[in-house]
Amino acid sequence: MAGISWYVALASVIWAIVLLTIQLLMAWGGGRPDHSAPTGRRSRGILYNFTAAMLPSHKESARHHPAEFLIGSVLHVGVLLGVLGFGITLVSPQQAPILPVVTGVILGISLLAGAVLLVRRLVSPNLKAMSSPDDFIAIVVTGGFLALSILFAFERVAVATYFAWSSVLFFYLPLGKLRHCIFFFAARSDLGGRLGYRGTFPAQPKQGSTR
Amino acid sequence: MSKPREGNEARPQRGVDEAMGAEQMERAAVSALNEAVRGLGAYHMNACVKCGLCGETCHIYRADPTPENLPAVKADKVMSFYRRYHTLSGRIAPFLFGARSMTPEVLEDLVDDVYGRCTCCGRCGLHCSVGLDIASTIVTGRRILAATGKVPADLQAVVKNQLETGNQMAITQDELKSTTEWIAEDLKLEMDADVQIPVDAVGKRILYLINPREVKFFPLSLLAAAGVFHAAGEEWTLSSRFYDVTNYGLFSGDQQAAAAITRQVMEEAEALGVEEVILSECGHGFRAFRWEGPNWLGESYEVPMRSVLDLLLEYLDAGRIQVDPARNEARVTLHDPCNLVRWGGVSEQQREILQRVVSDFQEMVPNRENNFCCGGGGGALSMSEYGEIRVGSGQTKVDQIKKTGAKIVATPCHNCADQLLDLSKQHKLGLDIQSVVELVFNALVLD
Repeated sequence: MAGISWYVALASVIWAIVLLTIQLLMAWGGGRPDHSAPTGRRSRGILYNFTAAMLPSHKESARHHPAEFLIGSVLHVGVLLGVLGFGITLVSPQQAPILPVVTGVILGISLLAGAVLLVRRLVSPNLKAMSSPDDFIAIVVTGGFLALSILFAFERVAVATYFAWSSVLFFYLPLGKLRHCIFFFAARSDLGGRLGYRGTFPAQPKQGSTR
Repeated sequence: MSKPREGNEARPQRGVDEAMGAEQMERAAVSALNEAVRGLGAYHMNACVKCGLCGETCHIYRADPTPENLPAVKADKVMSFYRRYHTLSGRIAPFLFGARSMTPEVLEDLVDDVYGRCTCCGRCGLHCSVGLDIASTIVTGRRILAATGKVPADLQAVVKNQLETGNQMAITQDELKSTTEWIAEDLKLEMDADVQIPVDAVGKRILYLINPREVKFFPLSLLAAAGVFHAAGEEWTLSSRFYDVTNYGLFSGDQQAAAAITRQVMEEAEALGVEEVILSECGHGFRAFRWEGPNWLGESYEVPMRSVLDLLLEYLDAGRIQVDPARNEARVTLHDPCNLVRWGGVSEQQREILQRVVSDFQEMVPNRENNFCCGGGGGALSMSEYGEIRVGSGQTKVDQIKKTGAKIVATPCHNCADQLLDLSKQHKLGLDIQSVVELVFNALVLD
């Protein structure tokens, strides 16, 4: 039985949702009216920035670093799957893990991706130049969550332990860099919207392959 | 590329910071930070994952790939202030979360990062994994430094000139008058017509804003514009007091100054009773007046405003001017100014014009919103202490130009033109740098 760990896990989720909402509202701060006359549409810029602009063909950070892009994407897919599994377990603690082998394999690859990113952060001079303890804590907490999710999927760990570590993740979520899970959408919307308003986005159809 | 300077003692005196105590400086810095992140700006302070994949998107990093030139490293220094003053975790445990207080020493160290190692071109933001507006984060750093009196002296001097004299080069009204007079005389001979350059004429259709460089160093741009306006039968005027299309408040981070410069021009437009303001070819000037100006003033303009590129294309479309592309035979490529194209949304007009007025047009790759900064943006040309970084960072642009095989580089920006001239000299490229209007004028077919 989950017992008190279920309540702690629930509290951690509520904590994360409430704090992230407050942070988002404070960052919004009532918005920023634009008094300039538009030449494009904000909505088209946002749509473009979340679709074509994110493709490796349009985004150099992905195109020039395909391995890192793939590893990062795999990590995020695993985390999303892990959070989904956690949500199902939180709602129905008695529910047996769904598709444990498939889940385990995906989460396992995702965990490996997290380990690679951790090593990269430890050895890359560029990353070391801007890393703080938060950058390492975030990946360790996330990696631990993925590891516990795998063990729980194969019923190798008690639900209380699984909930306990997951709670650590959700309590930590709004405190450090992990809050990018929400602010990613806000930041990309803001820049996409602004460039859409100015007519920069969506990028004009180009004659020839000259991009 | 070396560091911009040997030590703090090499930096020109900036004045205000010497008089500010540490506490007063921190208060001013926090106030500027609060103002900069108010409303949406804070989104970008919260979203960086520090993946470090932005390096190759930056012309400065490409020229000198050291961690200190990585866009994310530069931006993180500003974000660390946000974490310290705007997040609970950063206040309680600054070491854990990479939060830093804005002490005089920390602010002093930031100067080279945000003024010397970034032109705020915004290319990194377009290619960022997350989609952060990194350039605006750097601008936040500049706003903080402007509030604490740490704007590099040369850049501050330009802003001061604009506020005190109405133009960044402190050109006198007599100087403007004599220059416009000889340009008009020259045009009369060249066009065999009674060409006028109206100054302070009330009730004309357009007020034309120019870069003071056009008066002081590059009169051919003004001559070409005046010739094209004459050929199109345009009703236009210059102002003798507020004709400057530039606004270095955008670069210094002093938004009060930027607003004051904007206001004096717009009040002049209203006083002259024009129907619209036309901005000559100036990348940052277009961005500053067209997009940022109304927000600095907190209100929409009474008089509409657009780029001269729009007007030139309108003349061509309406048949108000006739051109012959054979008159520009040499291969021409186009450099896209970041502030006009990426931040301004003007990318196709100049291409449509060039396709009609030159016979051999070759695009650079990449181009348009993905084009690389030439290295002269962000006020870099006015900050002598960063000259070495500026010229060195143009290597990517040099490589782009070489690949086109062009003899002429057209660019609708005088800052870019200055930088491209420096690059051409440095690399012995033998390039001719021209504005779009000069190429249009050269292709004019007169009756």
